[in-house]
Amino acid sequence: MTEPKPRPAAGLRRARGPWRVAVSEASMRPAIEPGDWLLVDPTVRRWPRRGSVVVFREPDSGTLAIKRVAARPADRVDLDEGHLVLGADEAWLLSDARDAELLEAGLGRPIDSRRYGPVPLECLVGRAWFRYGPLRRIGRIGRGR
Amino acid sequence: MFRFSDILAPKTTVHAHCDLPCGIYDPEQARIEAESCYKIIEKMGQNSDATFTARAIGIKEERAELVKHHLDVLWHDYFKPEHLDKVPNLHELFWNATKQVSKVKASTDIADAKKLLDLIDEVDAAWKATGGDAKTRVAKQTA
Repeated sequence: MTEPKPRPAAGLRRARGPWRVAVSEASMRPAIEPGDWLLVDPTVRRWPRRGSVVVFREPDSGTLAIKRVAARPADRVDLDEGHLVLGADEAWLLSDARDAELLEAGLGRPIDSRRYGPVPLECLVGRAWFRYGPLRRIGRIGRGR
Repeated sequence: MFRFSDILAPKTTVHAHCDLPCGIYDPEQARIEAESCYKIIEKMGQNSDATFTARAIGIKEERAELVKHHLDVLWHDYFKPEHLDKVPNLHELFWNATKQVSKVKASTDIADAKKLLDLIDEVDAAWKATGGDAKTRVAKQTA
């Protein structure tokens, strides 16, 4: 299955950024902590590889969010009851933190594709690839938890 | 004073979202809505007017939906795996209770509404057995 070609104007819009973002909230622990400063590549025009961390607009609220790509277009996603096959421009985005870890911290369940479903390509803002702050945690963002 | 961090700080914030539960849970919330269903069915038995019946069915369905919501919140957010030690039939209890809500939604038999109240009382007992009444409510002012 081929992914649809993005419109040329989308490239110009994406080049405007954001190139740097600050993270709030804890659902991407332990890989990404609240308060981390990340570099983002906003020129990506396709869903990056599985395991990549992406910045996107949540489909239901438009909030700028950060999650990890768990499944890409045309991938099969297993659910509690049955499964779904992602569309040609959709990705399945999940949090890193486990429910039990968040509960321990007094937080609830992570808000990700399990809540709002597959995310279409038009919601993708960029790929987070490098942490430049805090200094003691500087480095590339890996494709694992 | 000039600081490098002011220049380096990102202007955009991204959210690694998760729920922020308030931590207040009480099966009484579900019981009050279930009592509404009970009373509405009782009133339907005393009044055969078509408009009244149509309105009563609408209100009953609405209240039953709220019962289901409150039970779901208790099941998913309040009860934790460790509570199964004290209430081994927890999942079966919620399964039966939420199924009973669906029955009440479609039924005009008061026995169905009474059975739902009984099941919610069992949920209440489970909530108390796990210390819910002491942990999840804000204390009322005492005279």
